[in-house]
Amino acid sequence: MAMVVDYKHDSSFPYWTSIRRRFAPDSPFFSSGNIERELLAKQVALDLTEDERNQLEKMIDNDARGIFCPIVGCDARLTLLEDFEDHYNARHTASCSVCSRVYPTSRLLSIHVSEAHDSFFQAKVARGYAMYECLVEGCDLKFKNYKGRQQHLVDKHKFPTSFEFFKKAHPSKKQRMKNQRKRAVNKKDEEASSKMEVENEMMEGLVSAVSKLSTSDSSPSTVSFGRRNARGLTFVPRSVQPPLQKK
Amino acid sequence: MADDSPASHRRDPIKSSVGNVAAQRRRQNAVTVGKERRESLVRAKRLCRVGPSGDGDVPGEENDMVTDEEGFLLDAQTSSAVEDLKSAIAYQGKGAMQKRVNALRELRRLLSKSEFPPVEAALKAGAIPLLVQCLSFGSPDEQLLEAAWCLTNIAAGKPEETKALLPALPLLISHLGEKSSLPVAEQCAWALGNVAGEGEELRNVLLSQGALPPLARMMLPNKGSTVRTAAWALSNLIKGPDPKAATELIKVDVLLDAILRHLRKSDEELATEVAWVVVYLSALSNFATGVLVKSDAILLLVERLATSNSLQLLIPVLRSLGNLVAGDSHTTSTVLIPGHEITDGVIKVLVKCLKSDHRVLKKEASWVLSNIAAGSIEHKRLIYSSEAVPLLLRLLSTAPFDIRKEVAYVLGNLCVTPTGGDGKPNLIEEHLVSLVQRGCLSGFIDLVRSADIEAARVGLQFMELVLRGMPNGDGPKLVEQEDGIDAMERYQFHENEDLRNMANGLVDKYFGENYGIDE
Repeated sequence: MAMVVDYKHDSSFPYWTSIRRRFAPDSPFFSSGNIERELLAKQVALDLTEDERNQLEKMIDNDARGIFCPIVGCDARLTLLEDFEDHYNARHTASCSVCSRVYPTSRLLSIHVSEAHDSFFQAKVARGYAMYECLVEGCDLKFKNYKGRQQHLVDKHKFPTSFEFFKKAHPSKKQRMKNQRKRAVNKKDEEASSKMEVENEMMEGLVSAVSKLSTSDSSPSTVSFGRRNARGLTFVPRSVQPPLQKK
Repeated sequence: MADDSPASHRRDPIKSSVGNVAAQRRRQNAVTVGKERRESLVRAKRLCRVGPSGDGDVPGEENDMVTDEEGFLLDAQTSSAVEDLKSAIAYQGKGAMQKRVNALRELRRLLSKSEFPPVEAALKAGAIPLLVQCLSFGSPDEQLLEAAWCLTNIAAGKPEETKALLPALPLLISHLGEKSSLPVAEQCAWALGNVAGEGEELRNVLLSQGALPPLARMMLPNKGSTVRTAAWALSNLIKGPDPKAATELIKVDVLLDAILRHLRKSDEELATEVAWVVVYLSALSNFATGVLVKSDAILLLVERLATSNSLQLLIPVLRSLGNLVAGDSHTTSTVLIPGHEITDGVIKVLVKCLKSDHRVLKKEASWVLSNIAAGSIEHKRLIYSSEAVPLLLRLLSTAPFDIRKEVAYVLGNLCVTPTGGDGKPNLIEEHLVSLVQRGCLSGFIDLVRSADIEAARVGLQFMELVLRGMPNGDGPKLVEQEDGIDAMERYQFHENEDLRNMANGLVDKYFGENYGIDE
């Protein structure tokens, strides 16, 4: 039996380990069995109808499994675990009409649109205005550059250092092939743009650089603020890329 | 002991209400009663409506949902019954004993009538001290029985009502002794079972007052309702969370024998209550678990699982087995050795449970399998090649959430080697590839999409195995096909940092810039 000995010393991912799991008798894990015990014991004595029994089970299930939506900033309470998917699709899939990226709140969507598709925004940035809003609702701080905001998120709001609002996407296969061909042709340009970081000093070069890049199909492999799928949530690009402008 | 006809204590049904107010109150009452009903059904306390010798009100014949007006009447009758009892006790003359018994019986009937006996009224009228007096040593059996029965139903109510029995406890415990008549002992055990079922505090009181040894002794006979009631009361008494009582119980001489005997031979009803005792013994006390594992218990539990179809019995038996597997590594390493008959037997009955219609059985059987799958490579091979896997794969895509989570643990455990001393689990490629080819990946990705933190974690961990371990670098492609990237991306704005990092880490590592370049 082949075994893949491929354990990387990367301690940050909690790999699957097979261990025994034990539960205390009053653990919620056992509660449905406990309830069943009492219902069955009293059923005969009290002539519970099938209907009543089902209702009871549902009520008990609901109480036990009601949870709050885990998306940051959402305070919706879900009575059933099953409701999460519907709730998510209804409330956390705001999509960008320009690039089809999806965001969990309309606020984040609008921040994305400004930062990624609005030349006016970039112009103001270039002139030194603090345009990059903090992503946390209610914080209201603004920053002159992406990195500044990023640092603020990490320092003040305990975001993980790996968090990036602008993230490289994983485009569809068709798109990847297109990009591959483009890469071969525009290798030099691509390299230049992919290495660009949005720093204070680069502000000046930013606007002009943007206009130089070929954007007939806006190279999404290097700049993407969310997936092209209608579903799903945006990821943040790995490295900071200048937003592209469609010509 | 002629039974008074219930009719004499029952009013004719109330005619239509007088206006909205009354109707509204009845509706409100129904809602509260509905909630109360639900809670009382689920509580670990049990009302006694039919006595040991079969007398008493037959449940279901009465209108259990008491209207406001009927409720007031019942309360009034109860108060007056308590008054009657008071004067009967005070009375010293001829026929005093019969007077007392009659008064007690009257009160008992009122307390057994509906699902919600007029306990509050009885307590307010001062029933407890009177009932305690009726329990005094040397009292006639009938008196003891009726008094204990009243106390049983008072204790079946709300927490403060159960606590009201405190003054009666020492006497109830004494009447468990072997000198007592069986019906009396049984009724006292029932009352004590309700008290124990209330909570840890009362359990500790009972234990310190020495309730355990006499109850344990009541389990020794071969059969009878007394044995069953005692077992039930014991299960409430030892349920912890302090393991002391469980450990004390297993140490009682010949008790283990009695438990095994009942598991082996007794009728399903009795075996059910005894099995619950085993559930608590195995869940709480490592000492008891060790003792049980070394005995025939596992074999007997497997037998019951194989031959019974009573859900009542199967639940505690399965759970006992699960606790013994979970609680002691010796179970899988020294008893359930792959290749031995007993091990095949265990897998077989677990498969039977997976096939059942009952949620609890499917969920807990999966849990047991996951723990066996956490054993040696041979254990994993055994389960992998058994009938369980096709069933588990189907459950992973169709069963309710809580079952799917447990199934996920089984399948994942089959794909990694045992956790060695250096903590480095390796993949079992053969199992992983086969399970993924049979379509399990989408089930795991569904778990990643759920709002349950633990399930999402499990899903992400399995995805990591797939991404890392599928040969020819097929992992990322497969994950993408099942919308796995999408599922992981949701965590970007998830409040759980752990999950965010896990998901981010995977996306970065396997779906980074160079993803798909080499195609």
